[in-house]
Amino acid sequence: MEAIVEELELRTSIDALKERRIATLSDPDLFFCPFLYVAGKYAFEPFTPREREILRRYITFGGFLFVEDTMGAKGFGFDQTFRKEIKEILPNRELKRLPTDHPVFQTFYLIGNMGGRQKVNAYLEGVTIDNWTPVIYSQNDLSGAWARDKFGNWVNECVPGGEGQRSSAFKMGINIIVYSLTSDYKKDLVHHPFIKRRQNL
Amino acid sequence: MTLNQVSISPVFPLWLIFLLLFFGLAAAVYQYWVIRRKLGNPRAAVLSLLRLCALFLLISFALNPSLWARKEQKVYQSLAILLDTSQSMGLPGAAGKGSRLDEAKGILLNGPAPLVKSLTERFDIKLYGLGESLKSLEVEDLAGLKAGEKEGDVAEAIDRLADKHSMAVLFSDGNLKWKEGPSKRLPLVAVPLGDPKGYKDILIKTIQAPAMAFRGREVVIDVRVKGYGYKGLTFPVHLKDGSKLITAKNISFNDPSAEVTIPLSFTPEELGPHHLSIGIPPQFGESLTSNNAVSLSLKVMKDKIRILMISGSPSLSYRFMRMAFKNDPSIDLLSFVVLRTPSDIINVPLQEQSLIPLPIETLFTKELKSFDLLIFDNLPSHLYLKPIYFESVREFVKGGGSFAMIGGPFFLDEGRYLGTAIEEILPVRLNEKEDYRRDASWRVGLSAAGKDHPITRLSPDEAYNLNLWQEMPSLDGINLLVAKNSGTILLEGEGDGTSQPILTVGHYGSGRVLVLATDYSWKWYMGMVAKGKDNWPYLRLIERMVRWLTKDPSLDSIQVTLPEKRGWAGQEMEIRFKVGEEDSLSRRKGFVSLSVFDPQGLRIKSQMKTAGQGNEYLGSFLPEKEGSYKLKIETPASRVEENLVVSSPMEGLDGVPHPEQLKIISTATGGRLLSREDDLLREIETYAERTESRFVELRSSALWEKPYTFIFILILLATEWYLRRRWGLV
Repeated sequence: MEAIVEELELRTSIDALKERRIATLSDPDLFFCPFLYVAGKYAFEPFTPREREILRRYITFGGFLFVEDTMGAKGFGFDQTFRKEIKEILPNRELKRLPTDHPVFQTFYLIGNMGGRQKVNAYLEGVTIDNWTPVIYSQNDLSGAWARDKFGNWVNECVPGGEGQRSSAFKMGINIIVYSLTSDYKKDLVHHPFIKRRQNL
Repeated sequence: MTLNQVSISPVFPLWLIFLLLFFGLAAAVYQYWVIRRKLGNPRAAVLSLLRLCALFLLISFALNPSLWARKEQKVYQSLAILLDTSQSMGLPGAAGKGSRLDEAKGILLNGPAPLVKSLTERFDIKLYGLGESLKSLEVEDLAGLKAGEKEGDVAEAIDRLADKHSMAVLFSDGNLKWKEGPSKRLPLVAVPLGDPKGYKDILIKTIQAPAMAFRGREVVIDVRVKGYGYKGLTFPVHLKDGSKLITAKNISFNDPSAEVTIPLSFTPEELGPHHLSIGIPPQFGESLTSNNAVSLSLKVMKDKIRILMISGSPSLSYRFMRMAFKNDPSIDLLSFVVLRTPSDIINVPLQEQSLIPLPIETLFTKELKSFDLLIFDNLPSHLYLKPIYFESVREFVKGGGSFAMIGGPFFLDEGRYLGTAIEEILPVRLNEKEDYRRDASWRVGLSAAGKDHPITRLSPDEAYNLNLWQEMPSLDGINLLVAKNSGTILLEGEGDGTSQPILTVGHYGSGRVLVLATDYSWKWYMGMVAKGKDNWPYLRLIERMVRWLTKDPSLDSIQVTLPEKRGWAGQEMEIRFKVGEEDSLSRRKGFVSLSVFDPQGLRIKSQMKTAGQGNEYLGSFLPEKEGSYKLKIETPASRVEENLVVSSPMEGLDGVPHPEQLKIISTATGGRLLSREDDLLREIETYAERTESRFVELRSSALWEKPYTFIFILILLATEWYLRRRWGLV
């Protein structure tokens, strides 16, 4: 994750703190971490009703959850468990494909291609409440594409797109973070003519 | 005397009286029978008859006979002379010299045979002035009598005078109130004044205008204009805001006496109270020009609060504030977030970037005035703004705009605001160095002023509000600032043993300014959610910050109720106002004040007292002249200004004489309409004769009270005694 934070600082005006903070759902300070990152490959223990309630409240009232299935393939343990859990947490909302004009694809970069370590999906999924998508789900293992070793070398290869796919993964990561801090800012009318013109270039 | 004039009223039952009469008759017959042997029949009959008469008369007194006398007398008539003293009586009279009231005075007091004098000789007269109320007058008062009151009510006057007078004479131009329907309690003879045919006037009769309007939305004012004697001519009707012409339209009349309604429309762009006037230039020969103009007050409000927010970087502070703004349908937000600084490397072609140029020049030179609130959110402004734009911000605030700065690491822009217009307008002092602290946790509490200020008074319940702020989570980062003397600290942060202003507000020029010295206010939102509570305190705080800054009336703790009817110069005006529950400190300590300023801006005398409940007040003042009066109601926490238009008494006055109205009134009362050409004295006398009444007096006197009845009885008895002696019975 250090790589995405470095890139965030390098490319954007965001002043990020380079520290990892691991939180549990019962952590009283969970609500003061308005960006939660959840990642996994395998099935996990179902949440308790109390944890589901905390997560429901967190998502409904301002929190942001970015979830990654890092398996690099569809339909495995983590994917199955997460889909089941999110249905339990938000029974009246659906995890849906985000449309290509969703602000998350426009917040910083104009993104047409999905990146990641494995290009499992050409899209992101998310749960949208009104005009805000507090849950974004990726199965392309973005964090796998960002990972570097202590010598600065990439840990994983990106397949099948190679470095272009890695670059897209960074762009997507930056867009997701900027989206978590600006919401649908890029949907304001003032941006519309610029974005449309550039997309037609 | 006839038998019809005699009545009886027996003091005993009739049967007893008849029994006594019978015994009397029997006694007389017995007497006759006894004495006829001595005196012979004729003499015995004479004596017995004399006795019988005396007895009958005595017994008949028990019938209590009375004698009725009827006497008819002619009544000396009481005449009420009513002089109309309403405003229109001050207009030129029929001869064009002097007013209509002068015309009436001339008839009553002047000439070889003044009418008042002539009437006094024939009638019992009493003079009255008929204005808003009926006033009794003396003849000496007539010379000094002036017109200027509101229209008098004739029906009401008749009700008051009907029991005192037998007839009334009214001198008027017919501009009177009259309740339809006959009322013959007091016949009224009317003398018309003024000349309806020669009357020339243009007047603004009525206007229909909203009391408030929204900025940017068209306002239509319907103006009803009436004209007398200007058929075929065209006139401009203009609408002005102060001395500035807004719009004008032409009107013309097709009839000598016509009414035209025209709509005048405009789109207000400036907020606040506007003193509008609608007028028609005075025309040649106009009898009255002061009714050619009407003043009105229009309060222009925002339909939407327009906010321009420039954020130094994407942040949670920005996202939560944006959420709060978007949550409020009355807010129109235009925000720019600096996504990259000049030193950041974006490294992609333009078609892959969503970044847009910040239109700084357009915003700060052209568009700024169209916003209500400008927010700098943690903005390193030296990267984007030239110092000249700071001047634009100062002028914007000075002219009534509002400005807020939200804290963060770039809040002070490394001391670059020092000595600039931004430093001048802020309610805090700035440091030379960046003084952002993220090394301590800052607990936030309400200051003394914050307990009652509309921004931080999130709940009307004082204790609950205090508790609410105590529950708010600590802040992880704040800017260290010192409030200026002109600034008011509402929230203070306690951390590392010091107290720092977190939320400070102030005024600059006509505008308001606010500094929130933290980029962690979002924690007040998520902190309450974490506790399982509602998120409304944060949303309400942001909403109230915006509304206070933009002087939104909904946030005023003072609610003013202006009089529904337009006031007149010289008439006491009353206004009611209420200080909200949340401004309890002001109410408790009596820090509520009312100031009234006349159209020239000079403060005039006003009174204020509590009315009804403790938080309701009644204010009053006496406007001496027409125009727009400014009312200022202040408490330490709030200030409200209202405009009240005081009209000229002549405004909207339709002064054309209405003899037909006088005819309706006089006919309905059983009187008649006279003409000035008539010999008024003779006409009044003739009419008075018809209505002349006579007084009939009926008087009864008991016969037994009359001495002659007793003398007659005595004569009867004495004659009987004398004859008895003569004839040798005694």
